[in-house]
Amino acid sequence: MSATAMKGTKDFLKRDPKPGVTLCSLIAGKRLPNAMIRETKQAIAMARKFNEEVVEPRALELDLKKMEDPDYLPWDLVEEANRRGFFTHFEPKIFGGKGVNLPAMSYFCEELASKCVGIANVVAVHYLGVATLVATWNIRLINELMRDAAEGERLGEPRIMSMAITEPAVGTDVCETKLLNKSDAAFRIDKVDGGYLVNGMKHFISNGHFSKWQIVFGYEDLSKPAESVVILAIKSGTKGFSLGRQERKMGQKACPASELLFDDCFVPDEYVCYSPDQARKLRCPLIESNQQLVDYLSTASRPGVASFATGVARGAYEVALEFARDTEVGGKQLIDHEWAQMQLAEMYTNVVMARLTYQEGNYANGLYGMFKMLQAKPIFYATKYTPKPILDIFMSPILNMPLSTWMFRTLNYDLWKKEHQCIADGYTSIAKVGATDLGLKNCQLALQLMGQAGLRHDCKAEKHLRDSKLLQIYEGPNEINKLIIFKSMISNLVPNTTMFDE
Amino acid sequence: MCASISQELQMLDSMAKEFAESELVPGREDFDEFPFKPLFDGALKKASEVGFFSLMLPEDVGGANRSMKALCTVLRETCRADASLGGVIFTNALAQEVMINAGASEMIPNPEEAGGDPQKALLAFAPFDNPVETKNRARAKAVDGEYFLDGGMEYVMLGGLADRVLVPAVMEGQKDISFFLVEAGLPEVRVSEPVISLGLHACPAVDIKFREAPATLVGEEGKGGDYLGQAADRLSVACASMSSGIMLGSFVTALDYARERMQGGRLILDWSQMRMSLADIAIKIKCADLIVDAAGTSVDEAEEGWQHASRAAALHICPIACDVANEGIQLLGGNGYMHEYGQEKRFRDAQTVQSLLGMLPMRKLAYLNMVLEAEKY
Repeated sequence: MSATAMKGTKDFLKRDPKPGVTLCSLIAGKRLPNAMIRETKQAIAMARKFNEEVVEPRALELDLKKMEDPDYLPWDLVEEANRRGFFTHFEPKIFGGKGVNLPAMSYFCEELASKCVGIANVVAVHYLGVATLVATWNIRLINELMRDAAEGERLGEPRIMSMAITEPAVGTDVCETKLLNKSDAAFRIDKVDGGYLVNGMKHFISNGHFSKWQIVFGYEDLSKPAESVVILAIKSGTKGFSLGRQERKMGQKACPASELLFDDCFVPDEYVCYSPDQARKLRCPLIESNQQLVDYLSTASRPGVASFATGVARGAYEVALEFARDTEVGGKQLIDHEWAQMQLAEMYTNVVMARLTYQEGNYANGLYGMFKMLQAKPIFYATKYTPKPILDIFMSPILNMPLSTWMFRTLNYDLWKKEHQCIADGYTSIAKVGATDLGLKNCQLALQLMGQAGLRHDCKAEKHLRDSKLLQIYEGPNEINKLIIFKSMISNLVPNTTMFDE
Repeated sequence: MCASISQELQMLDSMAKEFAESELVPGREDFDEFPFKPLFDGALKKASEVGFFSLMLPEDVGGANRSMKALCTVLRETCRADASLGGVIFTNALAQEVMINAGASEMIPNPEEAGGDPQKALLAFAPFDNPVETKNRARAKAVDGEYFLDGGMEYVMLGGLADRVLVPAVMEGQKDISFFLVEAGLPEVRVSEPVISLGLHACPAVDIKFREAPATLVGEEGKGGDYLGQAADRLSVACASMSSGIMLGSFVTALDYARERMQGGRLILDWSQMRMSLADIAIKIKCADLIVDAAGTSVDEAEEGWQHASRAAALHICPIACDVANEGIQLLGGNGYMHEYGQEKRFRDAQTVQSLLGMLPMRKLAYLNMVLEAEKY
């Protein structure tokens, strides 16, 4: 191509949408280590084995049990997941985990969710706690808590994490600093000698009753919560911390949504994951780093919700297909009706479309988000093939040094380019909105196709529907995610747009 | 509409509202936990006493001989509060309608004789199944002029409650269905534990198996499809009114919440997207009410094509109610997904009501057949 033509090409590529936005998968594909494919296949097989041996025999019975006794806690599931190593499987090897690549977890979650989203959440929401901890880039605590999970696995005592951010009066507000600063936040974390004193209530905390560690968000100044974020790791059994009730949810009943109660709960400095004092050492303004933290966390977790949604879309499709195959309607098998074939094809398409959204979200994360470092080929292969004892002996002490935290925070907060942040944010929110809408849609289609059978608990479709609805709500309701899509993908094209301030 | 009918409907509307507020709303969340908590016997008894189970029955068999619009009015208001009672009223009315079409009104339980006892006043029936479309599981045979049933029947609403069950079955050597009345308490009738289902929890359902169970023929042999089809023609609009009530309940709850809940320092009602969502719902409810009113009038006045009006109303409104109830949860965020706010129940109930009278896609195809037969377009 001539130089003149090339100049023209560059000009065209400067126009929106830029290739960096539209070619995520193409750019990411060649950069990804090949070994990720094998790891992903193994993760899928592992999930299918768990489904066959644990989830399928238990899903309906457990759902019924929770209807009968809402306070019931299926500890055996947590113990079985722990025994199978699920809680460290996707944790980086340098922190004591098995180091399987993080995008593989989406496929793993899809498999579990295709049989029961509630059980999938029991297993996977530990990684929401992990993602929150990682988003603070407090490397010493990341190292300590992930290694604690590994130790819990060795001892047969689950030591999992939950993320606790939602308060009774503050839900969606936590997603955006502009909303948070005007919110009715009431969860106080006060600086005292040697640590913090915690007071208030958190609710809707997935797995709260099961977790050994609660990664808790609070605020030093309730008049400016977005500028005074404190994140603490609070261990179960800490004085002043107790568990409240489990919420009475419509679905995903296997996974408790817990109330956490704090009454003058003292947390020593060593378990402060992130605080204004720490954040002030960064170059970027406090409020920006707080927003970045929430964005990091969200970009990591939203493809996970999309993978649940893909799973439930698939589960509904599979149940409907089985029904259509086995049921006679209007004098012939349902599956031989053209309209039913079209409806099943639509459902199959929805599954694939939902899967594509989380894949694209993961590509964006691999290029521009939380997964970036771990998926760089040199780091990926170095950690994959370095014997674990060597990592434990040599890396762990280095990770515990303040220098490590400083370095990771500088890289991830100060040097995180705005445009990269927008792409990761945008694609992961698109995944969350797109996949969860398709998940619910497939469940509704299954019910229409199945008639009265679709309504019966013993035919599974209705449970998928109940489970799917929550996916449109948690990890930020789809409405705030649409605003995040606007903010990250559209507003920069229209200067002076105001948001969150009608 | 003449003034006297309008006044009658207004009185019925007020009475149904009052009933729902006093008998259903306070215990709704507990009622919804059946079978893990007791059935709402008190509410059923009072519903029976005020005549909700005999609204359209002819006066000579103890009914009130009310219009379809009267039934729709009661269903809308009860479903606004708790669609489970709507499910009870609808199931019973459908079974009664089948029997009236069969010319067997005298076999319908007489509400006056029942003395307000729901067990005696109600008829169990399977309103989600269209036995003409699906493979029938109950079989009938005649021996010395008496009828006996074998096989089974699934998802029978009011099956664990009512003394009598209306059963579609195919006679030996015949293709078309016939209807039979069976005493539920007979040893030849085996009733399962309550079926756990998506919605309408307090409208209890069971599976039933028959083994040489004595039964009474309703109407003529092989005419069941006609009786049911005519009943579905009339009562489709009642399904639409149930959906309309669920939508209204969902809207009112969302609006109340929007007036109290803060986000970003202001009431969520003051955010424009919230208003847009509420506007969408309000428009859908208004349109649904207009359609139900027009279709109800069409049925009552036996206007030409009233069957089309009734069926189209249900086919159009019930899926919309599913979307509205879904949005009703979304507007409350996480709270909408929780038992206490009632929205998640409405979401489940709306989906359930959508399946009344058979599979939605098959009902759509049946509607087109009606249109083609009538050559209306």
